[in-house]
Formats: sequence, structure tokens, C-alpha cells
Amino acid sequence: MWFFIFAELLVFGIFFLAYAFARARNVELFNASQLQLDRLSGAINTALLVTSSYFVVRAVERIHHGAARACAYWLAAAMACGGAFLLLKLGELGAKMEADISMSTNTFFMFYIGLGFFHFMHVVLGMVILGAVALKAWRGGYSAAEHTGVETGASYWHMVDLVWIVLFPLIYVLR
Amino acid sequence: MKYQSQAVAKPYFIAAIGLFVGQIVFGLIMGLQYVVGDFLFPAIPFNVARMVHTNLLIVWLLFGFMGAAYYLIPEESERELYSPKLAMLMFWIFLIAGALTILGYLFVPYAKLAEMTGNDLLATMGREFLEQPLPTKVGIVIVALAMLFNLSMTVLRGRKTAINLVMLLGLWGLAIFFLFSFYNPANLVKDKFYWWWVVHLWVEGVWELIMGAMLAFVLIKVTGVDREVIEKWLYVIIAMALITGLIGMGHHYYWIGTPSYWQWWGSVFSALEPIPFFMMTLFAFNMVNRRRREHPNKAAVLWALGTGVMAFLGAGVWGFLHTLAPVNFYTHGSQITAAHGHMAFYGAYVMVVITMISYTMPLMRGRAANSKTAQVVEMWSFWLMTVAMVFITLFLTAAGVLQIWLQRIAAEPMGFMAAQDQVALFYWMREISGLVFFVGLVLYITSFFIKGKEAPAG
Amino acid sequence: MSSAFTKSAARNIFYGGSVFFFLLLVGLTYDTMHTLPKHDNSANLTESVKRGKHIWETRNCIGCHTLLGEGAYFAPELGNVYIRRGPDFIKAWIKAQPTGAPGRRQMPNFNLSEEQLDDLVSFLKYASEINTSKWPPNIEG
Repeated sequence: MWFFIFAELLVFGIFFLAYAFARARNVELFNASQLQLDRLSGAINTALLVTSSYFVVRAVERIHHGAARACAYWLAAAMACGGAFLLLKLGELGAKMEADISMSTNTFFMFYIGLGFFHFMHVVLGMVILGAVALKAWRGGYSAAEHTGVETGASYWHMVDLVWIVLFPLIYVLR
Repeated sequence: MKYQSQAVAKPYFIAAIGLFVGQIVFGLIMGLQYVVGDFLFPAIPFNVARMVHTNLLIVWLLFGFMGAAYYLIPEESERELYSPKLAMLMFWIFLIAGALTILGYLFVPYAKLAEMTGNDLLATMGREFLEQPLPTKVGIVIVALAMLFNLSMTVLRGRKTAINLVMLLGLWGLAIFFLFSFYNPANLVKDKFYWWWVVHLWVEGVWELIMGAMLAFVLIKVTGVDREVIEKWLYVIIAMALITGLIGMGHHYYWIGTPSYWQWWGSVFSALEPIPFFMMTLFAFNMVNRRRREHPNKAAVLWALGTGVMAFLGAGVWGFLHTLAPVNFYTHGSQITAAHGHMAFYGAYVMVVITMISYTMPLMRGRAANSKTAQVVEMWSFWLMTVAMVFITLFLTAAGVLQIWLQRIAAEPMGFMAAQDQVALFYWMREISGLVFFVGLVLYITSFFIKGKEAPAG
Repeated sequence: MSSAFTKSAARNIFYGGSVFFFLLLVGLTYDTMHTLPKHDNSANLTESVKRGKHIWETRNCIGCHTLLGEGAYFAPELGNVYIRRGPDFIKAWIKAQPTGAPGRRQMPNFNLSEEQLDDLVSFLKYASEINTSKWPPNIEG
């Protein structure tokens, strides 16, 4: 499983490097375009994901004590944060679409929309994974002794969170 | 051979090898036309030879895949094939349709062929690799669907393993993505965009599933390594293949009128495409090193290992060489592409089909393995063909680098034909390597007819 | 691979990963189709161009030439031939085939009518106006 998490980080890592490379070649365009972003929405989303990661940590901690129901509740809370993230992000992307901005507008927006959408899909996948884990936990599929699934799901979610924590300052803030 | 119906694979494999010979003969004709331009003109113009060369390749690989599927699916499902008769009927339909198509290419002017076969009703012809007349395309769909029905019924009623599920999934994908060959819009960019949904999603997508399943099947048999281990590897490899390969399709969308963001997407994902091929090499060597039995069929083991190495070199390394957009800007549409195409097709698909043939043919002929002498000849053919292909690739790469320099980079760029004249020496050397390859192929066929003390059927 | 990593985990990654990236591909395809009119010169897709493409296909031109870099590599790139040579040269060239020069690569004569030649030329003109992100590197193709 770690192999795939590393592979995912590798893909994002390459994209981030590519972003840095493209930005270095055209700093002004990137800075000008960056001003059009909704930084507040991005900041709230960062808070949401960090909070959700905390909830996932709580869920793992609960299952270590064999508290499967509590684990499922914490996972559900994390998913709620994820859902809120998706709504806000959709709002952002929708606003860009209305402003007639797309991946073809310029290189900056190619990264902003492309990476944003790519990460968006990861959040969706992460929620599907957390949902499956929560359901199994609720049905008593995990115990204090056997909970590899919970930890794997949690690792994936942390990865999605981690990527955002790099992505947000890199694309929204850094000038 | 555990089930009688597995024997339907035999004619499929024989047909595959026969068409393989035809492919190489036309390859040699084209190779000569590269340096002696008017060779066989006007009887066989280059475009006809090339159409025959590439279409034979596709058809014989399909025969190989189908034969492999008819062999391994009953064995994996632990039951007889749903309908061996249907499989035989499809064999004859496919063989006759294939033969008629090739004869049509050779003896009827292409425009006339198009007119005769209803291309004016639904124009699908005249696009690279998809030159087949409409009836042939429909025939391919019918044959594929009948085969899928036959195989799916077998799997549904039998044991479901990772290998037969992946094989089936690969074949379903093959049939489904072929449907894009019927879509040919007047808009050239859209035409090209969806043309790749057949070509790329075949060779860098679903065919890798088929290849992985075939390789895993043979490795289980010849190494005796635990199925759990091999199937886990199989899933990881094909997961990586699709994860990198689906968006990796972007490397075809750099310069054909598609949005320029594909340069980023294509570069990033296709840069990762060597990973599954590298894993395939590790997989093959790892399993053979951990073998729990000494299988008497050494030749099959050699082909399996060769597949791992050559697929990685041809598809992985030579693919990576020109996949990044800034590099591809210069290499696109040059002999570099031809170099990559040759080694990738040989290393990945030709060799995996031969691996399967090498393992199954002796079993279908009632023995565990061929005699020592026959195997030695087969291994010689392995080395001759493989080394020849390495040289073909190297010479084409050299020709490509020089061509790009003269025609696209030099301060005073040369015209296409002037540059071609400059690299003629490499084309001659390629042709000689091609002849060595042909000798290897003749030797390969000879190995089927060599008698001697054979290992008894186990 | 460690024993904690089971076959069913590998299977889930395969199915999940494939679906995920196929959906991403569909998403990018959707955006591409949406953006295409800005690049693909489809505004100039006249009836003559369409007929020209049909001639291009039914004479199997792709069997020797490349078009926007795709095809065989035996004969010159034709995506930009309209700019490199111009309409009159193209027509005269096609009519003059085969050259019959000994040892040289030969192009068949397709016996195209004047009208068909015009259609083919308008197809090549249309192709030359597609936005190919500045490919090929120079006029030689």
C-alpha cells in the first residue's frame, strides 16, 4: 500500500516541480493570475482538511481500543469535512467557469484547474475509501487486534490532506 | 493439457506463426524500398507493403491472444470451453476474412477496394492501422464478440482466478475500444483524437492486461511459485499500467491540434509508463529465481524472461526516450518513432505470444517439453531474433537522430528526401539485421519439426 | 511485497485506480472537446475539405506520408505542405507521378480529376491551418 501512496506523492511531486519550473519562466503571468483566486475559500478548505485528518486520527485511536462504533462516527465526521471541502471547491471552479476561465486560458490556470481537479478526484476517492472503512467498522469488521484496513484508509486520507497542504500555499499564496 | 477443448488453441497458434512469416517478408520488402526506392514498384508500392506489414502484425497477434485465451481460460476455470465448435468456426471466419483482406490490399487498388466494400456508406478506411475494409472491421467485432461470449460463459460457470478475470477484462476492453474505429469525423483533429482511443488504449492499455495475464499464467506453470504471490504481482503491474497509461495517452496529443495542456498531462504520466514494464522484468526474474521446480521446457522460461527484459527496453526505455513534450517536439514523426515501435511490439507482444506458444505447443502435442535438440534450436532462434531486433532498433534510432538533426535542427535544414539520402547507410544495416531476424524466424519454425527424446507429458 | 499487502488489496487498487484514471481521462476529454473549436480550424471545414479528406483516406496517403507527424515515415510530412509548396506545386506534383527515376522512391499515380485535386488541396490547406502548438519545428516538416 505504501508503494501506491509513494507513487501518488511522486505524481503530485512531479506536477509541483513542473509548476515551479513553469512559474520561474513566467513569474508575472503567474502572479497576475494568482490574484484572481479566492484565497479565503482556499484557506477554509485547508482548515477543513486538517480538521478531517484530526478526526481520522481519532478514528484510528478509537479502533485501537476496540471501539468500532466510535471509530465509524469519527470517520463520518471526517467525511463531512471532506464533503464541505468538495462543495467549496466546486463553488470555486464554478466561479472560474463562469468567468470563462479554463485550462487553456494560460499555464497558471492549467495548473490551478488541472491540479485542483486532480486533487478533487482524490478527495472523492478518499471519501469512498473512508466510507467503505466506516461501513465495515460499523458492522464490526474491525477490532483492536485487526484493523489494517482502518490504518490503510487513514494513510490514504492523510496523503490527500498532505498534498493539499503543499498545493494551497504553492498555488494560492506563494508569490 | 488438462482439458480436451484447450486444443482449439493449436490452429490459432499455427495461423499466428504463418502470418508472422508474411509480416516479416513484407517488412523486408519495405526495408529494401527504403534504400532501393523503386523495388517492386508499381506491383507493390510502399504503402501497400506497409499496410500488409502492420495489418498482419495486428491480426497475428490477435490470433495469438485468442489462442492463448482459449488455452488458459479452460485451465484456469477448471472446466471445458463452453463451445469448442464456436471457437473453431470463429477461427475459420477470422482466417478467411484476414486472408481476403490481405489479398484485397495486394491485388485491388485501395480506392477501388474502398468503393467495393461500402466505404462510401461509412468511411472508416485509410487511417493508419485501421485500413481494413468495413466488412473486415465488422468481422473483427463479430469474431471478438463470439469469442467473448464463449470465454465469459466458461469463466462464469467455472473457477474465477485473477488470471482468467484479467485476461477476460483485457479482451473485453480490446473489443470495446475497437468500436472507436468506426468513428471517423471529417474534423481531422477529432478523427486523430479518437483514433488513439483504439491504438493507444490497445497497446498501452488493455493489451497490457492480456500480456500480464499470459505471462503470469506461464510463470505459475514453469516456476511453481505460489499463485497468491504471482496474482498479487499481476494486479499491481496492471494497476500501474492503467494508472500511468490512461492519461499517458496525452503524449499523443501534443501536436495534433488538441489543447496544449496535454503537453503537461502527457509528459507527467507517460514519464511514469516505464514503471509497470520495469516491474514486469522484476516479476519475471523474481519468480524464476524463486522457482520450486525445474520445468523441462527451458525454452519457454527463456522467452518469458526475454519478454520482461525486451518489453522494458522497447516500451519502457525507448518510449521514455521521446515521450517528454520538449523532446517529442523534435522527434515526433521521425524514425525514432519507428525504432520504438519495432522494439516495443516485439518485446512486449510478439515475445509474450511466443512465450505462450512455446509453453503450450508441446503440451498440445502430447509432451511436457520438446526434445533437447529442438529446444536448443528454439533458443538459437530466440537469440537471433532478439539480437537482430536490438540492432534494428539501434540503427533506426541512429537514422532518426541524424534525420532530426539534418532536417529539423541544423542551421540550414535539409528537405525530407535529402536527409533520407544521408542516412541510407543505417537503412542498409537495418535491412541486414532484418535478414538475420528472418533467419531466426526460419529457425524458430524449424524447431517445431525436430524430433528427439522428449520429456513425457506430466 | 510485505505480507500485510494482500492480493485483495492489490485487486482493489487495480479496479479503483483504473476507474479513477478513466474518469479523469473522460473529464479531460470533455474539456478538450469543449476547447477544440479554438484549435482545430473546424470553422473552415467546407464540403470541399470533407471530400478532400475522403480522397486522402481512400488513396491511403498515410501509408507513406505523415500528417501532423502521424503515419508512415517513408515520404514527407504533409500537414504543412500547403505552406511549404503551395497549391499549384502540389497539384502538378501529384499529376507528374511516378517520376520513374531509377532507384528513387516512387509515388503511384492516382489519376485524380482536376476537381478531386482541388478538394485534396483544400483539405491540405485546412490541415495546415490547425493550431499544432507550433509543430513542426521548421518548414521542412
